[in-house]
Amino acid sequence: MAYLPLANILHHKLRSALSALGIGIAVCMLITLAGLSRGSLAEVAERWESVDADLIVLPRGWGDNASDKSGAGLSDRYAAKIASELGEMVRRTVPVFTWQMKLAGQDHMAAGVDPDQWQALTGGRRIIQGRLFDPEGRFTAWIRNKLLSGGQDDGAVIEMTERDLSEAPHSGLEIVIDTRLAAAGGYRLDQTVFVANHHWRIVGIVPAGAMSRLFMPRATAQYLFGNGDMTRSTLMFVKLAERVDPGPAARAIQKLTGQDVVPLGRYRGMLTEKFGIMFVYVDAVNAVALLIAFLFIMVTLYTMVLQRTREIAILKSAGASNLFLARQVAAESLMLTGVGAAAGVGMSFMAARAIQALRPLLTVTITWEWIATAAGAALIGALASAVYPGWKAGRVDIAEALSLE
Amino acid sequence: MSSDNENILVAHGLYKSFGRGLGRVDVLLGLDLAVRRGEFLAVMGPSGCGKSTLLHVLGLVTPQDRGRIVLDGREVPQVESRRNELRKKHIGLVFQRFNLINVLSAADNVAIFLRVRGLPSDGRVHPLLEAMGIAHLAGRKPSEMSVGEQQRVAVARAVAHDPEILLADEPTGSLDSQNAAALLELLRRLNRDRGQTIVMITHSPEAASYADRVVHMKDGRLLP
Repeated sequence: MAYLPLANILHHKLRSALSALGIGIAVCMLITLAGLSRGSLAEVAERWESVDADLIVLPRGWGDNASDKSGAGLSDRYAAKIASELGEMVRRTVPVFTWQMKLAGQDHMAAGVDPDQWQALTGGRRIIQGRLFDPEGRFTAWIRNKLLSGGQDDGAVIEMTERDLSEAPHSGLEIVIDTRLAAAGGYRLDQTVFVANHHWRIVGIVPAGAMSRLFMPRATAQYLFGNGDMTRSTLMFVKLAERVDPGPAARAIQKLTGQDVVPLGRYRGMLTEKFGIMFVYVDAVNAVALLIAFLFIMVTLYTMVLQRTREIAILKSAGASNLFLARQVAAESLMLTGVGAAAGVGMSFMAARAIQALRPLLTVTITWEWIATAAGAALIGALASAVYPGWKAGRVDIAEALSLE
Repeated sequence: MSSDNENILVAHGLYKSFGRGLGRVDVLLGLDLAVRRGEFLAVMGPSGCGKSTLLHVLGLVTPQDRGRIVLDGREVPQVESRRNELRKKHIGLVFQRFNLINVLSAADNVAIFLRVRGLPSDGRVHPLLEAMGIAHLAGRKPSEMSVGEQQRVAVARAVAHDPEILLADEPTGSLDSQNAAALLELLRRLNRDRGQTIVMITHSPEAASYADRVVHMKDGRLLP
């Protein structure tokens, strides 16, 4: 026997399709926006977590959120100090100078790192095309010699003329980018890009997943973006020796340097904290979209009840209970929502592919957790949407409905 | 009046009015009626005399304001849920407009009524449609059937659960004379072959002529 709710849905194909589509769009929005906002952050966090380090040293007073810090803030002398005084517990310290640079239409936190520490910063990644910037450290040696000779104090700014810079080894304006940035911008090896008021040559491409999408010599970053102060970086990654407890080690480094020290594992939390308000916004938009979708379903079901007053009355005249009628309405709602939710999940995968095709630097991570959340929300919404129309169906007066003969 | 044992349905002093105050309309005014088991009774009367209201009250669709209804020897209570149960089990209703469910086929229209009544539909629908001469329409939807065929489906639906009594409100009201005659013949056959008790409301003397007994109604009462 044909199931009445299914027969109704199939009979009113366009209305059913539009109702399901409304749910589908809302479910797609929920999964895609959650996947986009959380996926992009998770991708950044995973990149930072790929650094072969245990702790991050941050300039004191910059707050404990390293996710948005850039520029000169931390004296490089701490690296040597940590190595000399805490050498037993610290295997390596990697100073990094970070700076926002716009490439392929998007800001990136470029990482300035010394060539000999690049491997540690990128978790041992190999460059798949080209080579590392300033491989022999010629630019680094040249500029440090130029600026630091003479024993200037920390923070002293030494002007360098255009002529001085033109004499510099060209390896100073070399960058390495990751595969996603290369794909997004259509960049090729040996291509020159103009960014941050300079022409940079892409000398290497590294697989995506390294700490940054864009790497350059730290000395270059210090000189260009740190007001010529070659003695300061933004932060330092610290790799501890084996079996050293990060807690006591962090306290020891903090005591020694007077700077803030946080575990690398906290970076994900920092990002989440920083973008917490964005999640609230995204979740609120999703909630509103779902609410509108279910109001649409409710109006559809309510209209259906009003249109089928006679049909409902005739079922009641045969003894159909209010529960039976409510079940019919709920079943119709669940079917519409089920089809809509399934379509929404499918659409979210398509949307994720479309987003990544159009904006390769964005990451949409569709998780079973969010699919389940969307399905749960759809189930609850379907039942809630059916409550009033179901109640209304039960209130149909048989005699009144049938006396309109 | 016959004894309550012979009667499947008895109405004692039924009163029913609609509205309040100056807008109040008294429709049934102390109506008495006894329907004998297995009889085909026609209730005739002019428009507005309360025929349909009587059918709704007897069909336990609308509660009477006063008076008693005895169905199969048991007094019908006023409690809605109990009346619903009695209607579900003992009564079949046919209306002037067939009120079929448009989205379902003829067979499914009958089957869903069995399901509503908690009865299995397997194996019951087809023989019933066959008995009504519409087995070949089982898969068709109401919009694909003539009015006469639709009314036959409505009758099949009403008797699918073997009700004690079939109440029909102007069943030929929407039919042409040929279809009306065929339907009345069907009702008479149901009455004779299956012993189906039928109460038919009609204003047509021709339709009433198919009944065993005809009573006339005027101003909310049966004429003596």
